Amino acid sequence: MTPAGVATVARQELRLRVRRGRWRILVAVWFLVLLGLLALLRLALGSLGPLVAGQRGGIMYGGLQLMVLGLATLVVPALAAQSVNGDRERGVLATVQVTGLTAGDIAFGKFFAAWGAALLFVAATLPLVVWCVAEGGVDALAVFVVTLVMAALLGTVCALALALSALLARTTTSAVMSYLAVFTLTIGTLILFGLATAAAPQIEQTETFDDGEAFTFTEPDTSKTWVLLAPNPFVVLADAAPYRGDDVEFGLDPLGNIGRAVRFVRSPDAEPGFDENGERVGGDANPPPVWPTGLAVNLALAAGALAVTVRRLRTPTYRLAPGQRVA
Amino acid sequence: MTLRPGDAGIAATGVRRSFAGVDAVRGMDVHAAPGEVTGLVGPNGAGKTTLLLVLATLLVPDGGSVRVAGHDPVTEPRAVRARMGWSPDVFGLYEGVTAREYLEFYAAAYGLDAARRRRRAAALLDQARLGEFADRPVGVLSRGQKQRLGLVRALVHEPAVLLLDEPASGLDPRSRVELRELLRELARAGTTVLVSSHVLSDLEELADRVVFVDAGRTVGDHRVAALPRGTAWRPWRIRSLDPAALLAVLDQAGVDHGEPGSGGVDVVLAGDEEAVDLLAMLVAARVPVAAFQPVGGSLEAAFLSLTDQAP
Ligand SMILES: Nc1ncnc2c1ncn2[C@@H]1O[C@H](COP(=O)(O)OP(=O)(O)OP(=O)(O)O)[C@@H](O)[C@H]1O
Ligand SMILES: [Mg+2]
Repeated sequence: MTPAGVATVARQELRLRVRRGRWRILVAVWFLVLLGLLALLRLALGSLGPLVAGQRGGIMYGGLQLMVLGLATLVVPALAAQSVNGDRERGVLATVQVTGLTAGDIAFGKFFAAWGAALLFVAATLPLVVWCVAEGGVDALAVFVVTLVMAALLGTVCALALALSALLARTTTSAVMSYLAVFTLTIGTLILFGLATAAAPQIEQTETFDDGEAFTFTEPDTSKTWVLLAPNPFVVLADAAPYRGDDVEFGLDPLGNIGRAVRFVRSPDAEPGFDENGERVGGDANPPPVWPTGLAVNLALAAGALAVTVRRLRTPTYRLAPGQRVA
Repeated sequence: MTLRPGDAGIAATGVRRSFAGVDAVRGMDVHAAPGEVTGLVGPNGAGKTTLLLVLATLLVPDGGSVRVAGHDPVTEPRAVRARMGWSPDVFGLYEGVTAREYLEFYAAAYGLDAARRRRRAAALLDQARLGEFADRPVGVLSRGQKQRLGLVRALVHEPAVLLLDEPASGLDPRSRVELRELLRELARAGTTVLVSSHVLSDLEELADRVVFVDAGRTVGDHRVAALPRGTAWRPWRIRSLDPAALLAVLDQAGVDHGEPGSGGVDVVLAGDEEAVDLLAMLVAARVPVAAFQPVGGSLEAAFLSLTDQAP
């Protein structure tokens, strides 16, 4: 594998994509949908008035990023899900495999092309980010970290879709399976976490009410099952934003709220109680984060997917998928 | 014609390959020397494409020894690829790019530098008579133009060994002649050319040698110049101004013949001598013979007599 080889493949892939012409319309629709959603969010915040003064931009930014990630799970799988088997169906893959390009060149070239296209969609939201910043209250560090994590998560989706396109003979199957893989990450992790938590042992929690009366109840112990929730891209993205555990008064910042919630899932004892004066008692001001684990799982998935893709592109091959010809 | 491993050209001995229980290739010996065009001839499903995939570093054979341009396609695919060009029987082209971009992409894929890429692409477009289509999208080219483009693609890196799977299908007569001239020219320059085909009339004028394969095996290996021309069973077509008289004489002489058609009557004869005798008999019987000619080329005749000995 050489940088020149990877670049040759990536350039060709991007050129073909750009020529197909539909991407302009797609990016335009993508931008307009997000613009509409962000405008609605801004309207809603406007009606809250002074309650959210000073943090309006931060709330909008968090909401925007969750919407971007949500829409990206619909768009990004399509960028790579037919990359390898589509070329095989069209009869061009084998002619590329007999050139000086290695399996690594082809796999990574296709990966970078798909990832680059995905990042283009993210880049298209830049004007919306500028709007959020203009509203005030956006944390520069949050923008930096969230953008990096977003890129990594979309890269994972591209890698998974690419591997499926290399593993499965039919393009329709790999497209469906790619969406299934992404839904497993987004919704499947939630369901798995829910089921595992239901089966987890109960622990005792004590809460003190305003009138000084202590109340004891039990809840499932999530200190082990949180791992199932960690790979969820929304969890990773939200928790990666700088932790602001103490600004909970009118915590409307969606990233902060999700981050706090999943950290309490990981460390049930970190959640503070309140004493008779309404003062916070106990708890942990800085519970351990969830996102490094989640991001690590995602990156491991991406690395595994790329390794599988390279393997499947290696020639000469012995094994062929049933009913598949080389050429 | 013998090639030892290490020599240039193609040396495939005892190649076997099966797919999920189907023996596609079960012992093929194919040798091709530099400077020659070698034809790979056989009926549908004989295993020609499978053999070429093995030679083209795409498929691992179950057994046998293979050398292409002096290297083993299984253990040294990169060395083989640098010296080998391959054009598959059914292939697609990147429809969205222009013909020039298409060739330049493959030139880059073979590691040619930018200046050489441009030069090769321009030269090959000329060679494929696609100069005026150079900057049009590949998708709008006609089938034959696509075929020619796909063919010259295999030449971008000036390979020493050229593997072509059914290159003539879909080409008009002029393109066929040009293909023939192109391949002859490459062979003259020292290239090893292996062409699979079942269009025998094409190969007859093109190939120096033909290897016959059937049901996964090599069944014959001949120099075209030395093919048995005078002695093979082959069909002949006779046309007479008086078809009834012709049939009467044929029946009387006990010569098997087909149904008379507008082109004449087909008979199968054991060789030139039998043809001479029959013609003499017809003339002696005052049958007005207007045409008396062999059907198909001598390659076809040789192939038919090789695959089923007694027609
Ligand atoms: N990937 C595969 N899976 C299963 N069977 C295969 C595969 N590839 C080839 N075959 C079988 O192997 C045999 C030889 O096929 P091959 O394509 O090599 O024939 P061919 O000589 O090129 O025929 P044609 O002249 O029609 O192109 C056929 O019976 C074919 O069905
Ligand atoms: Mg074939």
